[in-house]
Amino acid sequence: MIGALLFVVFAVLLLAGVPIGVALGLGGAVAIALSNGDTQWWGLMAVPQNFHASVAKYPLLALPMFVLVGSIFDRSGVAQRMVTFAIAVVGRSPGTLPLVAILVAMVLGGISGSGPANAAAVGGVMIAAMSRAGYPPAFSASVIGAAAATDILIPPSIAFIIYSVAMPGASVPALFAAGMIPGVLAGIALIVPAVWLSRRHRMGASEAQMPRPPFWLSLRGALWGLAAPVLILGGMRAGWFTPTEAAVVAVVYGLFVGMVVHRTIGVRDLYDIFVDAAETSAVIMLVLGLAGIFAYAVSTLGIADPVVAFVTHLGMGSTATLILLFVVMTILGMFLDGVSIFLVFLPLLYPLMLHFKWDPVWFGVLLTMKIAIGQFTPPMAVNLMVACRLANVRMEETVPWVGWLLVSFIVAALLVLFFPELALWLPRSMGY
Amino acid sequence: MNGPEADSKAATQVAQPTAGEQGRKRTRFEDAIAVLALAVLVLLTLINVVVRYLTDQSFAETEEISIFLMVVLTMAGAAAAASRDRHMRIEYFLDTGSAARRRLLSLLSAYGTSAFFVFMTVLLGRFAWDEYHFGETTMALGLPRWWYSVWLPVLSAGIAWRSFTMARRVARGEQP
Repeated sequence: MIGALLFVVFAVLLLAGVPIGVALGLGGAVAIALSNGDTQWWGLMAVPQNFHASVAKYPLLALPMFVLVGSIFDRSGVAQRMVTFAIAVVGRSPGTLPLVAILVAMVLGGISGSGPANAAAVGGVMIAAMSRAGYPPAFSASVIGAAAATDILIPPSIAFIIYSVAMPGASVPALFAAGMIPGVLAGIALIVPAVWLSRRHRMGASEAQMPRPPFWLSLRGALWGLAAPVLILGGMRAGWFTPTEAAVVAVVYGLFVGMVVHRTIGVRDLYDIFVDAAETSAVIMLVLGLAGIFAYAVSTLGIADPVVAFVTHLGMGSTATLILLFVVMTILGMFLDGVSIFLVFLPLLYPLMLHFKWDPVWFGVLLTMKIAIGQFTPPMAVNLMVACRLANVRMEETVPWVGWLLVSFIVAALLVLFFPELALWLPRSMGY
Repeated sequence: MNGPEADSKAATQVAQPTAGEQGRKRTRFEDAIAVLALAVLVLLTLINVVVRYLTDQSFAETEEISIFLMVVLTMAGAAAAASRDRHMRIEYFLDTGSAARRRLLSLLSAYGTSAFFVFMTVLLGRFAWDEYHFGETTMALGLPRWWYSVWLPVLSAGIAWRSFTMARRVARGEQP
């Protein structure tokens, strides 16, 4: 009864437009108070304790650090140079600019950990270039919004850090390694329809006449940016740094490249970058802290048990249950952002995962792929929103293009669902 | 969905590169605290890496300071975000329906948020009081716990205040 009330309070507040964190915290607090009527302060001291304990976790430090890395590299000028280099490699013909956009978004995915930051960095450079070559802005925005969604799969990834903090048995390095192959797979899944669509609709016809940048010169320009994922991922792989330390090293490296090498960041911009990163991190971590209250209420009230019993008594197999989850969460993902979905549903999903003996790392990759899909599925598509803002188009205009990219991305996710080794082989062979 | 990652209000405008100029002046104070916390976090972690490689010593006792700074970053940043109305929320029902309904819902949400953080302030105050009262000390540095926790109700009151002033601006029909 109180359990149902918990979700009802949460849902009503959420739909009324109350901030997600407040809806979670208040729903949790009401449920705690009602079930502890006879104890001191109605058991409400669990509220500040769980709020504090959910934020005050050392592994979580990787989150603000990688958010900061994203803000820095967004303005460091490496995206422009990577684009020039990528064009020098793949050449100039119709359909290559979308290919370049996706490839650069994937490489940047190896530096930054957040989709919207990636969309801002790639979109800032590519949308104007694609317009000049004759691609419709709505198409460019669709490609960039979708390509940026590979960011949270390709390590480092903020989604994996949050999943790891919330889910026992899934370490950050293992998740990072597990996201690599699915991330590249998703990138390829986007390249195919993007190139096919541009050929079919004869977009970018004037691209062939544009000059091709010289190879060696553009390689020299791009080298600083290209070295960043090597430093971050290589440093973690070699055991030089923990994920948090790798992020801090990337902060210093990014500032050096932006302020000294490319000179795109001035001392005055520095404060803005920090304000930006502080706000983005704070908004996510506040939800995280208040979700701790909600999760505490869910687990102490035993709300998960009847839900899990209901799902398991449906008599569906493991795969069918996963597909059902996938459908439900994709629908939710159209209205709720990925981080909140993780935090609201993990207390329910965890016992389900134990029941079906799903691997926590594989399950995390699957959930993250679903979140990535949500990042460019209208109407609540964070990446697409950033790309549309930069392209100055309304999100509705992207619908005819983005549908193809969605279908292809879903196929990639289904491959990972049916072949868990795509996610699990790399972390196992690396010994995590 | 609102928030720094998904600012649907700005979706129709042209590129908005920074966290929004309009709210900047108003939130100077908490922005400065959040930025300072973030900058010190970067430095502490960096020093930890350097010290670990140069000497064989561990400097890991600073972990508890980092954790504290993370909480400060979260709450000071949340106060700034509250003032700029950038907390994540579902705006679907706020953006549809009659003007009267939209106004009612956004007032409810804004005052409700403020009231919730008043409630959190009281509880966090009690939390800090308990740590003071029982004289608990921290594991690594052996400092009294309340040195850290006493700031939590203060920061929470800051979020409540910023939410309240935001609500008042909504009530007056100004841009939040």
